[in-house]
Amino acid sequence: MGETHNIQRIKERINNIEDVLASVAAGDNEARINSETEDDLSGIEAAIDLLIDDLTDELIQREKMQKEVEDKLSKIQEQQKTIFQQQADLMELSSPVSKVWDNVLILPVIGTLDSQRTQIMMENLLEKIVETGCTISILDITGVPTVDTQVANHLLKTVTSARLLGAECIISGISPAIAQTIVHLGIDLSSIKTKATLQDAMIYAMKQNKLSENVKLQTLFTDPDENED
Amino acid sequence: MMQLTSNTNWETIDKHLIKTEHDIVNVRQQIRFCAKQLNMGIINQTRITTAVSELLRNMYNYGEGGEVLIQKGMVDEHNALIITCSDQGPGIDNLELAMSDGYTSGKGMGYGLPGAKRLVDRFEIESEKNKGTIVRIMKWN
Ligand SMILES: Nc1ncnc2c1ncn2[C@@H]1O[C@H](COP(=O)(O)OP(=O)(O)OP(=O)(O)O)[C@@H](O)[C@H]1O
Ligand SMILES: [Mg+2]
Repeated sequence: MGETHNIQRIKERINNIEDVLASVAAGDNEARINSETEDDLSGIEAAIDLLIDDLTDELIQREKMQKEVEDKLSKIQEQQKTIFQQQADLMELSSPVSKVWDNVLILPVIGTLDSQRTQIMMENLLEKIVETGCTISILDITGVPTVDTQVANHLLKTVTSARLLGAECIISGISPAIAQTIVHLGIDLSSIKTKATLQDAMIYAMKQNKLSENVKLQTLFTDPDENED
Repeated sequence: MMQLTSNTNWETIDKHLIKTEHDIVNVRQQIRFCAKQLNMGIINQTRITTAVSELLRNMYNYGEGGEVLIQKGMVDEHNALIITCSDQGPGIDNLELAMSDGYTSGKGMGYGLPGAKRLVDRFEIESEKNKGTIVRIMKWN
């Protein structure tokens, strides 16, 4: 009778151990066996409790670390958002088109011309051409370190679009090194009016301005009938 | 298929993944810096930087991005900057066509590859359909 009772008791305790382990596995960090008896089995029970202590300690540490990492990550994502926003702002700022004097627009380009920026730059310039009615624009690329085929392509497209709107577009600030490189690439920029420096481009623009004024004056003073063809 | 020149004595300067246009800009800046460090003049700095820019853009446009390896070392008794661009993109079907002036499969000008070749001292390309493309270029100092 005593024997069966003992076996029954041990079974219960083993069941208890199983329950506790299941709870721990399910995420309960507090579950322990806390055996009150002193016998052969209680040594094992105490050892299991110790193991659970270690395990839950580690788990808690890990959760803490994970939370820290997640916090940091969301902070970084937040910062990245700010950076993107600032980049967008900077892009707007860095393609300022200004009317320097009567009939002449200047667009100084500084930094790298990726496709997004070129798009904005081109739109800005074309809008300004329409808005001001200027017929000469100067695109100064002194501040552009690398002109590859993509940049050259964008420049050509900008010049062509400006032309379609009735404005001549001069590119200035092509350094000797960049000029040579463009030639080696094989790109033909001969359809574009280029000037070495911004100053050269401005002098050219002024001359063009005078020319067109002279033409206007001439047409004013000549008999309109004579001019018809 | 062409065998790429290689040498275990070359010193690796850096290695980058190219995933965005921003990566292209960064690597380009580094190439210019390395060229300067190797005592290249402004013209050669501009040439190698532009050539690399072409390769990176191709990798970005056609190869779904890739990897660039920057090395320096001796090649045929020249002090060389060696740049290797590799991608696992669609590869180039007809290399001869791709290397010819004015050929583009997209909206480019078609001068990137042949132009890059003219800008450097050595140009090697390997490509396999559906496997990817490797271009190795070198510039002597
Ligand atoms: N890494 C690559 N993977 C797959 N195809 C490529 C790769 N590089 C180039 N090509 C193919 O080779 C063609 C020619 O490349 P190339 O750089 O000479 O001209 P592009 O890129 O089309 O125009 P551009 O460089 O003048 O802007 C590309 O249109 C493309 O079809
Ligand atoms: Mg290209």
